[in-house]
Amino acid sequence: MATPTGAEGGTTPPGGADSADTDAGTFYECNICLDTARDPVVSMCGHLFCWPCLHQWLETRPQKQMCPVCKAGIGKDKVIPVYGRGSNNQQDPREKLPPRPAGQRSEPENQGGGFPGFGFGDGGFHMSFGIGAFPFGIFASTFNFNDGRPGPAPPGSPQNREEQFLSKVFLWVAILFIFYLLIA
Amino acid sequence: MANIAIQRIQREFKEVVKSEEVAKCSIKVELLNDSYTELKGEIAGPPDTPYEGGTFILEIKIPETYPFNPPKVKFLTRIWHPNISSVTGAICLDILKDQWAAAMTLRTVLLSLQALLSAAEPDDPQDAVVARQYKEANDIFKKTASHWTNKYAGGPNCDKDYEDKVTQLQSMGFDEHKARVSLSTCNWNVERATENLLS
Repeated sequence: MATPTGAEGGTTPPGGADSADTDAGTFYECNICLDTARDPVVSMCGHLFCWPCLHQWLETRPQKQMCPVCKAGIGKDKVIPVYGRGSNNQQDPREKLPPRPAGQRSEPENQGGGFPGFGFGDGGFHMSFGIGAFPFGIFASTFNFNDGRPGPAPPGSPQNREEQFLSKVFLWVAILFIFYLLIA
Repeated sequence: MANIAIQRIQREFKEVVKSEEVAKCSIKVELLNDSYTELKGEIAGPPDTPYEGGTFILEIKIPETYPFNPPKVKFLTRIWHPNISSVTGAICLDILKDQWAAAMTLRTVLLSLQALLSAAEPDDPQDAVVARQYKEANDIFKKTASHWTNKYAGGPNCDKDYEDKVTQLQSMGFDEHKARVSLSTCNWNVERATENLLS
């Protein structure tokens, strides 16, 4: 029943949704069977389909998956299910067909997080230490600002916490190593 | 036939009937049987083309797997066009083959065919003879297409010169249509057309 956060890719009714039986009803027609969409999914390009219809279309030409309306790229993991209120429970156990892909919940944007101890901020900052043969390896420590690697995990997610923890551990290892070299 | 196919055709049929193109008499669809597997389409030759004024009849066969696979369409009316076989009426159009998409309908197919009549694609021909004439002797191509439209599709433009040549070959005992094909193929050179018919 919850409204999925990714629902804005869908279609917004143009006002009079009450008179659904007339032309406004066609607004929610599946682009394949031309009937009112059941188990509706919406593509990234914004086109509405019944999941069973779209699934069959994707099965028909597996080597070339494109939107039946605009021929944009499309795929099982690139459609968003649309959950209306009070639609589910009754009928349609989606017998033979695979279940409709699940919605993806992304965490809301969380501003002003950051590293508690170091104040590096939570932008695209990566830090890595390369420790090789002394005395050259120590200079290989590099600061990488926004290189080609994927950006950091969204702040607040478990992966992000893990990454922060690891980065702190390695920082301390490096500091201890330098300290050891100095006193040795 | 699969349920979804029948339902789709029923809905599309209504869509075509209600569409403004029907009001303008530029396209038309008729059912040929109750099972919705065979239909008859009709398109008007687009204005400012050699096909203007003609009415072209199409055979539309709906496959079991419609709308996931395209309908099978061919011209029943004879037509002189680079992308349509002058012999069988087979059509070379990407959306009727690999570029088909499930959201296309009878209406969009008929409109696409109409567009094909106004914009031929001689580099991807169905009828190589016509395509060569289109590229090498475009004036003759236009007159030939217009002549065929007049003869087979009820077009208004009658070309006296071409008529006479066909009659001339007919009087030699050749079949009218075969004479016309041969003349059209040989750029309306009577001698070559005769040789062609005899060989």
